Amino acid sequence: MKIKYLLDEEEIPKKWYNVAADMPTPLDAPLHPGTLKPLTAEDMEMIFPKALIRQEMSTDRWIDIPEEVRDIYRLWRPTPLFRAAALEKALKTPAKIYYKYEGVSPAGSHKPNTAVPQAYYNMKEGMERLATETGAGQWGSALSLATCLFDMKCTVYMVRSSFDSKPYRKSAMRVWGAECLASPSDRTNYGRQVLAKMPDTPGSLGIAISEAVEDAASHDNTNYALGSVLNHVLLHQTVEGLELKKQFKMTDDYPDIMFGCCGGGSNFPGMVFPFIPDKMKDKKDLRMVACEPSACPSLTKGLYAYDFGDTAGMAPVIKMYTLGHDFIPPGIHAGGLRYHGDAPLLCNLVHDGLIEAVALQQNEVFEAATLFARTEGIIPAPEAAHAIKPAIEEARRCSKTGEEKIIFISLTGHGHFDLAAYDAYNDGKLIDYEYPADLVKQSLAKLPQV
Amino acid sequence: MMAGRAGKIGFLINPVAGMGGAVGLKGTDGLAEEARARGAKPQAAERARTCLSKLARESKSLLFFTASGEMGERALHECDLHYEGVYEASEESSSIDTKAACQAFLEKGADLILFCGGDGTARDVASKTDQVPILGIPAGVKMHSGVFAVSPEAAAELTLGFVRGELKVRDTEIVDVDEDLYRSGVLQTRLYAVAKTPYLPVLVQDRKRIYSSSSEEEFKDQIALFAGEFMRDGSAYIIGAGTTTGRIAEHLGVEKTLLGVDVVQNGLLILKDAAEKDLLDLLDRVKSAKIIISPIGAQGFILGRGSQQISAAVIRRVGTENLIIVSTPHKLAELSYLLVDTGDPEIDRSLSGKRQVVTGYRIAQRKDVFAASMPPGS
Repeated sequence: MKIKYLLDEEEIPKKWYNVAADMPTPLDAPLHPGTLKPLTAEDMEMIFPKALIRQEMSTDRWIDIPEEVRDIYRLWRPTPLFRAAALEKALKTPAKIYYKYEGVSPAGSHKPNTAVPQAYYNMKEGMERLATETGAGQWGSALSLATCLFDMKCTVYMVRSSFDSKPYRKSAMRVWGAECLASPSDRTNYGRQVLAKMPDTPGSLGIAISEAVEDAASHDNTNYALGSVLNHVLLHQTVEGLELKKQFKMTDDYPDIMFGCCGGGSNFPGMVFPFIPDKMKDKKDLRMVACEPSACPSLTKGLYAYDFGDTAGMAPVIKMYTLGHDFIPPGIHAGGLRYHGDAPLLCNLVHDGLIEAVALQQNEVFEAATLFARTEGIIPAPEAAHAIKPAIEEARRCSKTGEEKIIFISLTGHGHFDLAAYDAYNDGKLIDYEYPADLVKQSLAKLPQV
Repeated sequence: MMAGRAGKIGFLINPVAGMGGAVGLKGTDGLAEEARARGAKPQAAERARTCLSKLARESKSLLFFTASGEMGERALHECDLHYEGVYEASEESSSIDTKAACQAFLEKGADLILFCGGDGTARDVASKTDQVPILGIPAGVKMHSGVFAVSPEAAAELTLGFVRGELKVRDTEIVDVDEDLYRSGVLQTRLYAVAKTPYLPVLVQDRKRIYSSSSEEEFKDQIALFAGEFMRDGSAYIIGAGTTTGRIAEHLGVEKTLLGVDVVQNGLLILKDAAEKDLLDLLDRVKSAKIIISPIGAQGFILGRGSQQISAAVIRRVGTENLIIVSTPHKLAELSYLLVDTGDPEIDRSLSGKRQVVTGYRIAQRKDVFAASMPPGS
C-alpha cells in the first residue's frame, strides 16, 4: 500500500484560489468600527499594505502567487499527503483515511503559507516592522520566520496563557529575531487598561489583536498582520487545498468527508475552499466539517451577526458567527482556537449550508490525538487533533456500516511545543469546558434595548 | 521567614474528637463517656502533636493562645512551642469550653484559630466568628465542612503559609450531620455556618500553568454577573444556600438568607428562607421556575445535604432540566465529582451523569454527578 503522495516542487500552485468568486451569497461588507459604515480601502491603509487590501476586496477567482513567495514556499512545499494505514488498521475500518501534514514547515504548522506573502507585500511597500498577535504561538512563530527572511522586524503579542505555558515558542521567535510580549502587555494603552482591571487574566486572542492593531496604527513604520479570519489569509492558505486536489488525483480517490480544525479560520478554509466548486457542481455529497472546541464554539453555538473582530472594538466590524467580542474563552490547551468569531468567508458558507461544524471537548480530542500518535507516529498539535477525533468517529461508523468512505484529516502541525498539554491529559488534569449556550441565549434575549 | 505578621494563633484540641468513630458511635458529641466505656482511646491529641511538631521544626516565632491541659496547653508544651494560656478548661471539656476558649482567643487578637477535632468542633468554633479564619486539624468522625486540612501535616503547612501571608482566605461552609438520626441510619446534614479559612489557590487549568488564576472572589463575581443576565427571563429562581449563590443575590441587590433557600423573580426577592412547603405553594402560582445551587461542604453535595428544602418533590415540579449548578473553578477542582441525595432514587438517577456547571462569565465545565447511593466504584 502506498503511504506518501508527494508532488514535485514545480507543482506548487502558481495562483491562489479566491472562493469569493464562487459563493452563492455575496459577502456582507466589513464595517468601520467607528462609523459602522462600509470599510474603504483608505480606512485599511493605516495598518495594511495596498496589495493585501486589493486581495481582501477582490472577487477575482485566481490571484497570482509572486515568484519570490513561491521560492520560499519551496522550503517545505508541497507538503505530503499520507494514507493513515496504521490508524485504519487500529480502527479495523473499511474506510480509507488520508491526512495532509503541514507540520513540515520550518515553523511546524500551516501558518507560514500566509505569513510569507504578508511579509513580502509589506516589504515591497517599504514597511520596516510588522506587529501581530498569536494564540498558541504558531502564527507568531510563522510571522517571525517570514519577517526574518525579508529582513524586517516583528513584534508579537502572545496570549498570556500560551506565553507562560509554551516558553519554547518564544525562544523560537527570538531565534528568528522577533520580539515576543505577553498580552495583555504594558506596551499599549489597551493592554495597560486590561491589566489594571484584570491583572491575572490569561488573555485572549481578541485582546492581543487589539494590542497589535494599536501598535501598528500608532507607528508609521509598522503594519499589522493577522494569521486568520481575513479574506487574504484564507486566500493564501488555498495553496494547501490546491495541492491536495492534485494529490488526491494520484490516489484515484476523492474525499467523501473532510475534517479540519477551526479557530478564526485559516488552515481549514484553505484546505477545503478549492473543493467548493466541486461540491456546487457534481460532488454534492462531499461534506466539509469545521472542528472547533466546545469551550469556544462560535460556529456551532454563536450568533450570525455583525461584531467587532477584537476585544477593544478597534478592528473592523464583520459579519460572522460570534460568541460576542467581549467573550474571553477559558484557557484550553488548543490556544490557537480561542477566538470569539470566525472568518466571514467561512461563516458565509456555513450559513449557506455548504460547510458543517462540530464542537469537541479537550479530553476526547487528546484521546484521539494519542491514538493517532501511537499509530501514525506524529504527535499532533492540540488544535490539529480537533480534526482527528471526528474523523476517527466517522471511521468507526464505517466499521459498523461497512462503508468504504474516503475520510480526510487536515493535520495543521505538530505538537512538540505542546507536550505539557499531553502531560496534563495523561495526568487526568484536563478540564472539559463547555459554553453554556442556552443560558447565554436566555441572557441575550432579554437584554435592554438601547 | 515571617513577613511582618505576629503569627498569633488561637489553638485548641477537642480531646474526645474521633473517639466515637472507632467504636461505631458515628460521632462523639455528648457520648464521650460511652465511647470510653466501649474502649475508645483519645486520638485527637496525637494528631494535634503531629501538626504542632511540624510547626515547631519550621518556626518558633509563633505565639499560641490556648486553653489549659488536654485542650491545648499540654500538647504545645510537649512540642516546645511558645504559648500563653488564656482559658481554664473544665475537667471534662465540652462544647461550652470550645466556644469560651475561642472567645478568649478573639479577645487576645488571634489572626487564626487552629483547632483539632471534627464537624462538631468546627461548628462550635465557627459559631464565635465569621471574620477570623479558622483551620481544622482533621481528627473527628465526621469532617464534611470545608475548613479541614487533608492531614495534620497539611494543617501545619497551611498555618505557616497563612502566617507568612502567602495564602488567600476564602469562605467555606460548616456542615454537620445530625448524629441522632445518623445513628439510626439516616444521614442528614445541615449547613450551620459560613466561615473563613486559609487555602492554597489551585490553578484553574492545571498545575503546570505558570500564570496564577484569578481569585475565587473574582469568579464569584463573574458567575453573579452572568446569572444576573440570564435571570432576566421572568422565571422564579429558587436559590440554594452558600456563598457563591449568595454573591448572585448580592449582585441582584436582594438580601439573601446565607444558610437558607430564597426565591427571586424579575430581580425581586419573593420568598425568603423558604421551607419545602413554601416552595411547593409557590410552584402552584408561577409559570416557570428554575433552581440555582452550588456544591456544599467538602464532599461536593449539590442536593440533599445543606438545602433539604429543595426536596425531590420540588425538583420534580421544577424539572431536572431547569437545575443550574454554579461553582467557582477553584472549588470544582477540589472535587472529583458532585453528589446528589434527594431521597428519591429516580430523581437522583436522572440528575446523574455529566452535567454543566457554570464556573464564570459565560463559561461552564462538565462534571460528573453521582447519586450518593451509587458513588463511583460502588
